[in-house]
Amino acid sequence: MNPSHAEDENVSPAALPVAETPFDYPAYIQGMRFFDPHIHMTSRTTDDYQAMADAGIVALIEPAFWLGQPRTGLATFKDYYSSLIGWERFRSSQFGIKHYCTIGLNSREANNVPLAEEVMELLPLFVYKEGVVGIGEIGFDDQTPAEDRFYRAQLELAKESGLPVQIHTPHRNKKEGTERSMAIALEHGLDPGMVIVDHNNEETVKSVLDKGFWAAFTIYPFTKMGNERMVEVVRQYGPNRIMVNSAADWGISDPLAVPKTAALMVMRGIPVEHIRQVTYQNAIDAFAQSGQINTADFADGLAIDQSQKFNGNTILRGGQQPRPDKHSVLIK
Amino acid sequence: MTLLSIFNDTATDAERQWLDTKLAAATPAKLAAFVAAPRFIARRNVPGIPDWTMDQLARVLLITSLPTEPEDAYVKAIQTLFDTAELYEFVALYSALPHLTYPGRWLFQATEAVRSNMGPVFDAIAFGNTYPADYFPEAAWNQLVLKCIFNDKPITQITGLDQRANQTLANDLSNFAHERWAAGRTVPADVWQLIPRFMNETLLADVKKLAQSPDERDRLAAQHVIDQTDYEPAKRLSVTR
Repeated sequence: MNPSHAEDENVSPAALPVAETPFDYPAYIQGMRFFDPHIHMTSRTTDDYQAMADAGIVALIEPAFWLGQPRTGLATFKDYYSSLIGWERFRSSQFGIKHYCTIGLNSREANNVPLAEEVMELLPLFVYKEGVVGIGEIGFDDQTPAEDRFYRAQLELAKESGLPVQIHTPHRNKKEGTERSMAIALEHGLDPGMVIVDHNNEETVKSVLDKGFWAAFTIYPFTKMGNERMVEVVRQYGPNRIMVNSAADWGISDPLAVPKTAALMVMRGIPVEHIRQVTYQNAIDAFAQSGQINTADFADGLAIDQSQKFNGNTILRGGQQPRPDKHSVLIK
Repeated sequence: MTLLSIFNDTATDAERQWLDTKLAAATPAKLAAFVAAPRFIARRNVPGIPDWTMDQLARVLLITSLPTEPEDAYVKAIQTLFDTAELYEFVALYSALPHLTYPGRWLFQATEAVRSNMGPVFDAIAFGNTYPADYFPEAAWNQLVLKCIFNDKPITQITGLDQRANQTLANDLSNFAHERWAAGRTVPADVWQLIPRFMNETLLADVKKLAQSPDERDRLAAQHVIDQTDYEPAKRLSVTR
Protein backbone atom coordinates (compact mmCIF):
# COMPACT_ATOMS: atom_id res chain seq x y z
CA MET A 1 0.00 0.00 0.00
CA ASN A 2 1.22 3.51 -0.73
CA PRO A 3 -0.24 7.03 -0.67
CA SER A 4 -1.50 6.91 -4.24
CA HIS A 5 -3.55 3.81 -3.47
CA ALA A 6 -5.16 5.55 -0.53
CA GLU A 7 -6.26 8.34 -2.85
CA ASP A 8 -7.34 6.03 -5.70
CA GLU A 9 -9.58 3.72 -3.82
CA ASN A 10 -13.02 4.73 -2.85
CA VAL A 11 -12.86 3.70 0.80
CA SER A 12 -12.42 5.69 3.96
CA PRO A 13 -8.78 5.82 5.07
CA ALA A 14 -9.80 4.58 8.51
CA ALA A 15 -10.93 1.27 7.03
CA LEU A 16 -7.61 0.51 5.37
CA PRO A 17 -5.48 -2.12 7.04
CA VAL A 18 -1.94 -1.03 7.87
CA ALA A 19 0.83 -3.34 6.77
CA GLU A 20 3.19 -4.23 9.60
CA THR A 21 6.01 -5.07 7.21
CA PRO A 22 8.33 -2.37 5.75
CA PHE A 23 6.21 0.40 4.49
CA ASP A 24 6.73 3.88 3.12
CA TYR A 25 5.14 5.92 5.91
CA PRO A 26 7.44 8.96 5.42
CA ALA A 27 5.57 9.70 2.19
CA TYR A 28 2.57 10.72 4.32
CA ILE A 29 4.44 13.29 6.40
CA GLN A 30 6.67 14.91 3.80
CA GLY A 31 7.53 18.46 4.83
CA MET A 32 5.95 18.16 8.30
CA ARG A 33 7.90 19.26 11.40
CA PHE A 34 7.74 17.50 14.74
CA PHE A 35 8.56 18.32 18.35
CA ASP A 36 9.06 15.31 20.65
CA PRO A 37 8.48 16.66 24.18
CA HIS A 38 9.72 13.55 25.98
CA ILE A 39 12.70 11.48 24.84
CA HIS A 40 15.84 10.29 26.67
CA MET A 41 18.58 10.90 24.14
CA THR A 42 21.46 10.01 26.46
CA SER A 43 20.27 6.41 25.95
CA ARG A 44 20.11 6.66 22.16
CA THR A 45 22.61 6.38 19.33
CA THR A 46 23.73 8.76 16.61
CA ASP A 47 21.78 6.59 14.14
CA ASP A 48 18.64 7.59 16.05
CA TYR A 49 19.50 11.28 15.82
CA GLN A 50 19.98 11.01 12.06
CA ALA A 51 16.74 9.06 11.59
CA MET A 52 14.85 11.57 13.74
CA ALA A 53 16.17 14.54 11.76
CA ASP A 54 15.28 12.75 8.51
CA ALA A 55 11.75 12.11 9.78
CA GLY A 56 11.19 15.82 10.47
CA ILE A 57 11.91 16.10 14.21
CA VAL A 58 13.33 19.61 14.68
CA ALA A 59 13.32 19.91 18.48
CA LEU A 60 12.92 17.74 21.56
CA ILE A 61 12.75 17.79 25.33
CA GLU A 62 14.83 15.39 27.40
CA PRO A 63 13.38 15.01 30.90
CA ALA A 64 15.75 14.04 33.71
CA PHE A 65 14.96 10.49 34.83
CA TRP A 66 16.64 7.46 36.34
CA LEU A 67 19.29 5.56 34.45
CA GLY A 68 17.93 2.03 34.74
CA GLN A 69 19.63 1.53 38.08
CA PRO A 70 19.76 3.75 41.13
CA ARG A 71 22.52 6.32 41.59
CA THR A 72 24.49 6.08 44.81
CA GLY A 73 25.87 9.59 45.15
CA LEU A 74 25.17 13.24 44.59
CA ALA A 75 28.02 13.74 42.14
CA THR A 76 26.46 11.38 39.59
CA PHE A 77 23.25 13.40 39.73
CA LYS A 78 25.24 16.57 39.16
CA ASP A 79 27.11 15.13 36.22
CA TYR A 80 23.88 13.78 34.72
CA TYR A 81 22.16 17.17 34.93
CA SER A 82 25.30 18.79 33.51
CA SER A 83 25.29 16.38 30.59
CA LEU A 84 21.68 17.32 29.75
CA ILE A 85 22.61 21.01 29.41
CA GLY A 86 26.08 20.37 27.99
CA TRP A 87 27.22 17.44 25.95
CA GLU A 88 23.80 16.04 24.98
CA ARG A 89 22.63 19.50 23.94
CA PHE A 90 25.69 19.86 21.73
CA ARG A 91 25.43 16.31 20.36
CA SER A 92 21.84 16.98 19.32
CA SER A 93 22.77 20.25 17.61
CA GLN A 94 25.23 18.38 15.42
CA PHE A 95 22.26 16.58 13.89
CA GLY A 96 20.25 19.76 13.41
CA ILE A 97 17.87 19.09 16.33
CA LYS A 98 17.27 21.69 19.06
CA HIS A 99 17.61 20.08 22.49
CA TYR A 100 15.78 21.27 25.60
CA CYS A 101 15.46 19.51 28.92
CA THR A 102 13.47 19.38 32.12
CA ILE A 103 15.31 18.97 35.41
CA GLY A 104 14.03 17.10 38.43
CA LEU A 105 14.37 14.24 40.87
CA ASN A 106 12.53 11.22 39.48
CA SER A 107 10.03 9.33 41.62
CA ARG A 108 12.00 6.08 41.94
CA GLU A 109 15.10 7.74 43.33
CA ALA A 110 12.99 9.93 45.62
CA ASN A 111 12.81 6.79 47.77
CA ASN A 112 16.49 7.11 48.75
CA VAL A 113 15.64 9.85 51.22
CA PRO A 114 19.13 10.96 52.38
CA LEU A 115 20.32 11.23 48.77
CA ALA A 116 17.07 12.84 47.65
CA GLU A 117 17.52 15.56 50.26
CA GLU A 118 20.95 16.37 48.83
CA VAL A 119 19.57 16.38 45.29
CA MET A 120 16.89 18.89 46.32
CA GLU A 121 19.67 21.27 47.36
CA LEU A 122 21.38 20.78 44.00
CA LEU A 123 18.31 21.39 41.81
CA PRO A 124 18.18 25.21 42.10
CA LEU A 125 21.65 25.34 40.51
CA PHE A 126 20.21 23.76 37.38
CA VAL A 127 16.58 24.83 36.98
CA TYR A 128 17.51 28.39 36.02
CA LYS A 129 19.86 27.29 33.24
CA GLU A 130 19.21 28.32 29.68
CA GLY A 131 17.06 25.81 27.80
CA VAL A 132 15.62 24.21 30.94
CA VAL A 133 11.92 24.30 30.09
CA GLY A 134 10.40 22.67 33.15
CA ILE A 135 10.67 20.64 36.33
CA GLY A 136 10.50 17.01 35.30
CA GLU A 137 9.89 14.24 35.14
CA ILE A 138 8.50 14.09 38.65
CA GLY A 139 5.53 12.38 40.28
CA PHE A 140 4.74 8.93 41.57
CA ASP A 141 6.08 5.44 40.98
CA ASP A 142 5.13 3.29 44.00
CA GLN A 143 3.21 6.15 45.60
CA THR A 144 5.27 5.99 48.81
CA PRO A 145 5.42 8.76 51.45
CA ALA A 146 8.93 9.69 50.26
CA GLU A 147 7.68 10.12 46.69
CA ASP A 148 4.87 12.31 48.00
CA ARG A 149 7.31 14.47 49.95
CA PHE A 150 9.73 15.15 47.12
CA TYR A 151 6.98 15.59 44.55
CA ARG A 152 5.52 18.36 46.71
CA ALA A 153 8.93 19.95 47.28
CA GLN A 154 9.52 20.07 43.54
CA LEU A 155 6.10 21.58 42.87
CA GLU A 156 7.13 24.39 45.17
CA LEU A 157 10.39 24.75 43.24
CA ALA A 158 8.39 24.96 40.00
CA LYS A 159 6.25 27.73 41.43
CA GLU A 160 9.25 29.63 42.68
CA SER A 161 11.09 29.38 39.36
CA GLY A 162 8.00 29.96 37.22
CA LEU A 163 8.61 26.77 35.27
CA PRO A 164 6.09 24.25 33.87
CA VAL A 165 5.91 20.80 35.49
CA GLN A 166 6.21 17.52 33.59
CA ILE A 167 4.49 14.78 35.57
CA HIS A 168 5.32 11.11 35.20
CA THR A 169 2.26 9.02 36.04
CA PRO A 170 2.80 5.51 37.43
CA HIS A 171 2.45 2.23 35.53
CA ARG A 172 0.68 0.58 38.45
CA ASN A 173 -2.49 2.11 39.88
CA LYS A 174 -2.31 4.62 37.04
CA LYS A 175 -5.76 6.13 37.45
CA GLU A 176 -5.35 6.65 41.17
CA GLY A 177 -1.78 7.94 40.73
CA THR A 178 -2.85 10.39 38.04
CA GLU A 179 -5.73 11.75 40.09
CA ARG A 180 -3.51 12.09 43.13
CA SER A 181 -0.78 13.86 41.16
CA MET A 182 -3.27 16.42 39.86
CA ALA A 183 -4.94 16.92 43.24
CA ILE A 184 -1.60 17.64 44.91
CA ALA A 185 -0.59 20.06 42.16
CA LEU A 186 -3.85 21.97 42.66
CA GLU A 187 -3.41 21.83 46.44
CA HIS A 188 -0.03 23.55 46.00
CA GLY A 189 -1.65 26.28 43.97
CA LEU A 190 -0.24 25.40 40.56
CA ASP A 191 -2.07 26.60 37.48
CA PRO A 192 -3.10 23.41 35.61
CA GLY A 193 -2.10 25.24 32.42
CA MET A 194 1.50 25.03 33.68
CA VAL A 195 1.33 21.26 34.25
CA ILE A 196 1.84 18.55 31.64
CA VAL A 197 0.51 15.18 32.81
CA ASP A 198 2.38 12.47 30.94
CA HIS A 199 1.77 8.82 29.97
CA ASN A 200 -2.00 9.16 29.71
CA ASN A 201 -4.31 6.54 28.28
CA GLU A 202 -7.98 6.22 27.40
CA GLU A 203 -8.82 5.83 31.09
CA THR A 204 -7.13 8.99 32.35
CA VAL A 205 -7.44 11.52 29.52
CA LYS A 206 -10.92 12.83 30.17
CA SER A 207 -10.28 13.80 33.77
CA VAL A 208 -6.93 15.41 32.89
CA LEU A 209 -8.44 17.57 30.15
CA ASP A 210 -11.55 18.40 32.20
CA LYS A 211 -9.36 19.77 35.00
CA GLY A 212 -7.46 22.02 32.58
CA PHE A 213 -4.11 20.16 32.54
CA TRP A 214 -2.13 19.31 29.41
CA ALA A 215 -2.45 15.63 28.47
CA ALA A 216 0.66 13.99 27.04
CA PHE A 217 0.59 10.50 25.52
CA THR A 218 3.57 8.23 25.21
CA ILE A 219 3.65 5.95 22.18
CA TYR A 220 5.76 3.08 23.50
CA PRO A 221 5.43 -0.53 22.41
CA PHE A 222 3.89 -3.11 24.76
CA THR A 223 3.75 -1.06 27.98
CA LYS A 224 2.20 2.31 27.07
CA MET A 225 0.05 3.60 24.19
CA GLY A 226 -0.03 2.13 20.70
CA ASN A 227 -0.45 4.68 17.93
CA GLU A 228 -3.68 3.24 16.55
CA ARG A 229 -5.24 3.92 19.94
CA MET A 230 -3.71 7.41 19.84
CA VAL A 231 -5.46 8.18 16.55
CA GLU A 232 -8.79 7.35 18.15
CA VAL A 233 -8.07 9.49 21.21
CA VAL A 234 -7.46 12.52 19.00
CA ARG A 235 -10.53 11.70 16.92
CA GLN A 236 -12.63 11.57 20.09
CA TYR A 237 -11.18 14.44 22.13
CA GLY A 238 -9.87 16.74 19.41
CA PRO A 239 -6.40 18.33 19.42
CA ASN A 240 -6.63 20.84 22.26
CA ARG A 241 -4.06 20.43 25.07
CA ILE A 242 -3.05 16.97 23.79
CA MET A 243 0.53 16.12 22.82
CA VAL A 244 2.29 12.97 21.63
CA ASN A 245 5.77 11.81 22.65
CA SER A 246 8.00 8.76 22.36
CA ALA A 247 9.61 8.61 25.82
CA ALA A 248 12.23 6.55 23.96
CA ASP A 249 14.97 5.43 26.37
CA TRP A 250 17.09 2.36 27.06
CA GLY A 251 14.08 0.05 26.82
CA ILE A 252 12.42 -1.29 23.68
CA SER A 253 11.04 1.98 22.42
CA ASP A 254 10.86 3.99 19.22
CA PRO A 255 12.47 7.43 18.72
CA LEU A 256 10.31 7.84 15.61
CA ALA A 257 7.06 7.34 17.52
CA VAL A 258 5.92 10.94 16.94
CA PRO A 259 6.41 11.04 13.14
CA LYS A 260 5.02 7.50 12.78
CA THR A 261 1.93 8.46 14.74
CA ALA A 262 1.52 11.58 12.60
CA ALA A 263 1.70 9.41 9.46
CA LEU A 264 -0.94 7.07 10.83
CA MET A 265 -3.14 10.05 11.63
CA VAL A 266 -2.81 11.30 8.04
CA MET A 267 -3.73 7.83 6.74
CA ARG A 268 -6.73 7.62 9.02
CA GLY A 269 -8.16 10.99 8.18
CA ILE A 270 -7.25 13.22 11.12
CA PRO A 271 -7.13 16.83 9.84
CA VAL A 272 -3.58 18.04 9.17
CA GLU A 273 -4.00 21.05 11.47
CA HIS A 274 -4.98 18.75 14.34
CA ILE A 275 -1.93 16.59 13.68
CA ARG A 276 0.27 19.68 13.74
CA GLN A 277 -1.13 20.65 17.11
CA VAL A 278 -0.63 17.29 18.81
CA THR A 279 2.80 16.52 17.31
CA TYR A 280 4.33 20.02 17.34
CA GLN A 281 2.51 23.15 18.44
CA ASN A 282 0.89 22.13 21.74
CA ALA A 283 4.18 20.95 23.22
CA ILE A 284 5.75 24.28 22.26
CA ASP A 285 2.86 26.27 23.72
CA ALA A 286 3.00 24.32 26.99
CA PHE A 287 6.76 24.41 27.55
CA ALA A 288 7.39 27.87 26.05
CA GLN A 289 5.74 29.18 29.22
CA SER A 290 9.23 28.68 30.67
CA GLY A 291 10.42 31.60 28.52
CA GLN A 292 13.17 29.30 27.28
CA ILE A 293 11.90 28.28 23.84
CA ASN A 294 12.59 30.48 20.84
CA THR A 295 10.91 28.84 17.85
CA ALA A 296 13.21 30.77 15.49
CA ASP A 297 15.94 28.36 16.65
CA PHE A 298 14.30 25.41 14.91
CA ALA A 299 11.22 26.46 12.94
CA ASP A 300 13.13 26.41 9.67
CA GLY A 301 14.09 22.83 10.31
CA LEU A 302 17.56 23.79 11.52
CA ALA A 303 18.82 24.09 15.05
CA ILE A 304 21.90 25.98 13.99
CA ASP A 305 22.43 28.97 16.21
CA GLN A 306 23.57 31.85 14.01
CA SER A 307 25.75 33.17 16.82
CA GLN A 308 27.71 29.93 16.61
CA LYS A 309 28.89 30.61 13.10
CA PHE A 310 32.60 30.72 13.02
CA ASN A 311 33.85 34.26 12.30
CA GLY A 312 30.68 34.91 10.37
CA ASN A 313 31.50 32.38 7.67
CA THR A 314 29.71 29.14 7.00
CA ILE A 315 32.09 26.88 8.87
CA LEU A 316 30.04 25.98 11.89
CA ARG A 317 31.62 25.81 15.29
CA GLY A 318 31.68 22.17 16.19
CA GLY A 319 30.35 21.39 12.76
CA GLN A 320 27.54 19.21 11.54
CA GLN A 321 28.24 15.51 11.66
CA PRO A 322 29.21 13.99 8.31
CA ARG A 323 26.94 11.27 6.94
CA PRO A 324 28.42 7.86 6.23
CA ASP A 325 26.61 5.73 3.65
CA LYS A 326 24.77 3.24 5.87
CA HIS A 327 24.17 0.80 3.02
CA SER A 328 27.77 0.53 1.94
CA VAL A 329 29.90 -2.38 3.17
CA LEU A 330 32.89 -0.04 2.92
CA ILE A 331 33.69 2.07 5.97
CA LYS A 332 35.94 4.98 5.06
CA MET B 1 38.13 50.43 25.00
CA THR B 2 37.38 48.41 28.09
CA LEU B 3 35.03 45.43 27.93
CA LEU B 4 32.52 47.42 29.99
CA SER B 5 32.50 50.34 27.58
CA ILE B 6 32.05 47.95 24.66
CA PHE B 7 29.07 46.46 26.45
CA ASN B 8 27.58 49.84 27.31
CA ASP B 9 27.93 51.08 23.73
CA THR B 10 25.77 48.27 22.40
CA ALA B 11 23.38 47.41 25.25
CA THR B 12 19.85 48.74 25.56
CA ASP B 13 18.98 50.92 28.55
CA ALA B 14 17.29 47.99 30.30
CA GLU B 15 20.31 45.75 29.71
CA ARG B 16 22.74 48.37 31.02
CA GLN B 17 20.62 48.93 34.07
CA TRP B 18 20.36 45.21 34.81
CA LEU B 19 24.13 44.73 34.55
CA ASP B 20 24.91 47.86 36.61
CA THR B 21 22.72 46.56 39.43
CA LYS B 22 24.31 43.12 39.34
CA LEU B 23 27.87 44.46 39.14
CA ALA B 24 27.19 46.34 42.38
CA ALA B 25 25.71 43.27 44.12
CA ALA B 26 27.34 40.77 46.49
CA THR B 27 29.02 37.60 45.24
CA PRO B 28 26.05 35.17 45.48
CA ALA B 29 23.88 37.56 43.47
CA LYS B 30 26.64 37.93 40.88
CA LEU B 31 26.92 34.17 40.50
CA ALA B 32 23.14 33.87 40.07
CA ALA B 33 23.24 36.72 37.55
CA PHE B 34 25.95 34.87 35.62
CA VAL B 35 23.53 31.95 35.16
CA ALA B 36 20.51 34.17 34.43
CA ALA B 37 22.25 36.58 32.02
CA PRO B 38 20.60 35.35 28.78
CA ARG B 39 17.18 36.09 30.32
CA PHE B 40 18.10 39.77 30.47
CA ILE B 41 20.71 40.25 27.73
CA ALA B 42 19.66 39.28 24.21
CA ARG B 43 22.08 37.00 22.39
CA ARG B 44 23.59 38.98 19.53
CA ASN B 45 27.08 39.62 18.27
CA VAL B 46 29.40 42.08 20.00
CA PRO B 47 30.73 44.68 17.55
CA GLY B 48 34.49 44.40 17.31
CA ILE B 49 34.93 41.09 19.15
CA PRO B 50 34.58 38.25 16.65
CA ASP B 51 32.48 35.31 17.87
CA TRP B 52 31.50 36.97 21.17
CA THR B 53 27.87 37.55 22.04
CA MET B 54 26.41 40.21 24.34
CA ASP B 55 25.18 37.75 26.98
CA GLN B 56 28.66 36.22 26.98
CA LEU B 57 30.24 39.65 27.44
CA ALA B 58 27.88 40.40 30.34
CA ARG B 59 28.87 37.10 31.95
CA VAL B 60 32.58 37.88 31.55
CA LEU B 61 32.03 41.31 33.15
CA LEU B 62 30.20 39.70 36.07
CA ILE B 63 32.95 37.23 36.93
CA THR B 64 35.75 39.71 36.39
CA SER B 65 34.01 41.94 38.95
CA LEU B 66 34.18 39.32 41.73
CA PRO B 67 36.31 40.27 44.77
CA THR B 68 39.70 38.64 44.23
CA GLU B 69 40.53 38.34 47.96
CA PRO B 70 40.70 35.94 49.67
CA GLU B 71 42.16 33.89 46.84
CA ASP B 72 40.57 30.57 47.79
CA ALA B 73 37.06 32.01 47.98
CA TYR B 74 37.54 33.67 44.60
CA VAL B 75 38.78 30.47 43.00
CA LYS B 76 36.02 28.39 44.61
CA ALA B 77 33.26 30.70 43.35
CA ILE B 78 34.48 30.47 39.78
CA GLN B 79 35.17 26.74 40.08
CA THR B 80 31.52 26.22 41.12
CA LEU B 81 30.41 27.93 37.93
CA PHE B 82 32.62 25.59 35.91
CA ASP B 83 31.26 22.54 37.76
CA THR B 84 27.64 23.23 36.85
CA ALA B 85 28.11 25.06 33.55
CA GLU B 86 25.94 24.56 30.51
CA LEU B 87 27.28 25.02 26.98
CA TYR B 88 27.15 28.83 26.73
CA GLU B 89 28.33 29.27 30.31
CA PHE B 90 31.43 27.24 29.48
CA VAL B 91 32.06 29.48 26.50
CA ALA B 92 31.80 32.60 28.69
CA LEU B 93 34.02 31.11 31.41
CA TYR B 94 36.76 30.10 29.00
CA SER B 95 36.69 33.38 27.15
CA ALA B 96 37.06 35.11 30.54
CA LEU B 97 40.26 33.24 31.49
CA PRO B 98 42.71 35.91 30.25
CA HIS B 99 40.91 38.46 32.43
CA LEU B 100 40.92 36.47 35.69
CA THR B 101 43.27 36.90 38.63
CA TYR B 102 45.66 34.08 39.68
CA PRO B 103 46.08 32.78 36.11
CA GLY B 104 47.95 29.66 37.26
CA ARG B 105 44.88 28.39 39.13
CA TRP B 106 42.94 27.89 35.86
CA LEU B 107 45.47 25.78 34.03
CA PHE B 108 43.82 22.40 34.63
CA GLN B 109 40.38 23.77 33.82
CA ALA B 110 41.77 25.28 30.61
CA THR B 111 43.27 21.98 29.48
CA GLU B 112 39.88 20.35 30.15
CA ALA B 113 38.44 22.56 27.40
CA VAL B 114 41.04 21.19 25.00
CA ARG B 115 39.80 17.69 25.91
CA SER B 116 36.16 18.70 25.42
CA ASN B 117 34.10 17.13 22.68
CA MET B 118 31.76 20.11 22.66
CA GLY B 119 32.79 22.22 19.68
CA PRO B 120 31.98 25.65 21.13
CA VAL B 121 33.85 24.83 24.37
CA PHE B 122 37.00 23.84 22.52
CA ASP B 123 36.71 26.91 20.29
CA ALA B 124 36.41 29.20 23.32
CA ILE B 125 39.84 28.21 24.62
CA ALA B 126 41.46 27.71 21.22
CA PHE B 127 40.46 30.72 19.14
CA GLY B 128 41.05 34.39 19.86
CA ASN B 129 42.03 33.54 23.44
CA THR B 130 45.41 34.63 24.82
CA TYR B 131 45.37 32.26 27.82
CA PRO B 132 46.92 29.19 26.14
CA ALA B 133 49.77 31.11 24.54
CA ASP B 134 50.51 32.86 27.83
CA TYR B 135 50.21 29.95 30.27
CA PHE B 136 50.12 26.52 28.62
CA PRO B 137 53.27 24.39 29.05
CA GLU B 138 54.62 23.09 25.76
CA ALA B 139 52.93 19.67 25.90
CA ALA B 140 49.49 21.22 26.54
CA TRP B 141 50.07 23.78 23.80
CA ASN B 142 50.98 21.06 21.33
CA GLN B 143 47.84 19.08 22.23
CA LEU B 144 45.75 22.17 21.56
CA VAL B 145 47.25 22.68 18.11
CA LEU B 146 47.17 18.99 17.16
CA LYS B 147 43.58 18.54 18.30
CA CYS B 148 42.60 21.59 16.29
CA ILE B 149 44.20 20.09 13.18
CA PHE B 150 42.75 16.66 13.88
CA ASN B 151 39.25 18.16 14.05
CA ASP B 152 39.70 20.11 10.81
CA LYS B 153 39.50 23.46 12.55
CA PRO B 154 41.50 26.50 11.42
CA ILE B 155 44.75 26.80 13.40
CA THR B 156 45.21 30.32 12.03
CA GLN B 157 42.58 31.45 14.57
CA ILE B 158 44.84 30.40 17.48
CA THR B 159 46.49 33.35 19.23
CA GLY B 160 50.28 33.03 19.53
CA LEU B 161 50.60 30.30 16.93
CA ASP B 162 53.91 31.50 15.55
CA GLN B 163 55.56 32.44 18.87
CA ARG B 164 54.73 29.08 20.46
CA ALA B 165 55.80 26.92 17.50
CA ASN B 166 58.41 24.37 18.59
CA GLN B 167 60.48 21.41 17.42
CA THR B 168 58.31 18.76 19.10
CA LEU B 169 55.18 20.13 17.50
CA ALA B 170 56.85 20.19 14.08
CA ASN B 171 57.87 16.54 14.50
CA ASP B 172 54.38 15.62 15.72
CA LEU B 173 52.91 17.27 12.64
CA SER B 174 55.11 15.19 10.39
CA ASN B 175 53.98 12.00 12.14
CA PHE B 176 50.37 13.10 11.91
CA ALA B 177 50.73 13.80 8.19
CA HIS B 178 52.29 10.38 7.57
CA GLU B 179 49.35 8.69 9.30
CA ARG B 180 46.84 10.69 7.29
CA TRP B 181 48.62 10.02 4.01
CA ALA B 182 48.85 6.30 4.80
CA ALA B 183 45.07 6.29 5.35
CA GLY B 184 44.47 7.97 1.99
CA ARG B 185 43.36 11.18 3.72
CA THR B 186 44.62 14.74 3.35
CA VAL B 187 46.32 17.25 5.66
CA PRO B 188 45.16 20.89 5.72
CA ALA B 189 47.84 22.92 3.94
CA ASP B 190 47.97 25.71 6.51
CA VAL B 191 49.56 23.44 9.15
CA TRP B 192 52.92 23.61 7.35
CA GLN B 193 53.43 27.19 8.45
CA LEU B 194 54.47 25.70 11.81
CA ILE B 195 57.64 24.00 10.50
CA PRO B 196 60.05 26.46 8.75
CA ARG B 197 62.14 27.12 11.90
CA PHE B 198 62.38 23.43 12.80
CA MET B 199 63.37 21.72 9.56
CA ASN B 200 65.21 18.39 9.59
CA GLU B 201 65.58 15.49 7.17
CA THR B 202 62.15 14.02 7.87
CA LEU B 203 60.40 17.35 7.39
CA LEU B 204 62.48 17.97 4.28
CA ALA B 205 61.02 14.81 2.74
CA ASP B 206 57.53 16.05 3.63
CA VAL B 207 58.15 19.39 1.96
CA LYS B 208 59.46 17.61 -1.16
CA LYS B 209 56.22 15.66 -1.28
CA LEU B 210 54.17 18.83 -0.88
CA ALA B 211 56.20 20.56 -3.61
CA GLN B 212 55.01 17.90 -6.06
CA SER B 213 51.43 17.62 -4.80
CA PRO B 214 48.60 17.86 -7.35
CA ASP B 215 46.86 20.18 -4.87
CA GLU B 216 47.87 23.81 -5.42
CA ARG B 217 47.41 24.62 -1.71
CA ASP B 218 50.08 22.04 -0.82
CA ARG B 219 52.49 23.52 -3.37
CA LEU B 220 51.88 27.02 -1.99
CA ALA B 221 52.54 25.69 1.51
CA ALA B 222 55.82 24.16 0.32
CA GLN B 223 56.83 27.47 -1.27
CA HIS B 224 56.06 29.24 1.99
CA VAL B 225 58.35 26.88 3.91
CA ILE B 226 61.11 27.33 1.35
CA ASP B 227 60.78 31.12 1.57
CA GLN B 228 60.78 31.21 5.37
CA THR B 229 63.33 28.59 6.42
CA ASP B 230 67.05 28.96 7.09
CA TYR B 231 67.57 25.23 6.48
CA GLU B 232 69.81 25.12 3.40
CA PRO B 233 68.65 21.78 1.90
CA ALA B 234 65.07 23.08 1.93
CA LYS B 235 66.02 26.43 0.39
CA ARG B 236 67.38 24.58 -2.63
CA LEU B 237 64.02 22.85 -3.34
CA SER B 238 61.83 23.96 -6.19
CA VAL B 239 58.07 23.67 -6.42
CA THR B 240 56.30 22.05 -9.38
CA ARG B 241 54.33 24.64 -11.35
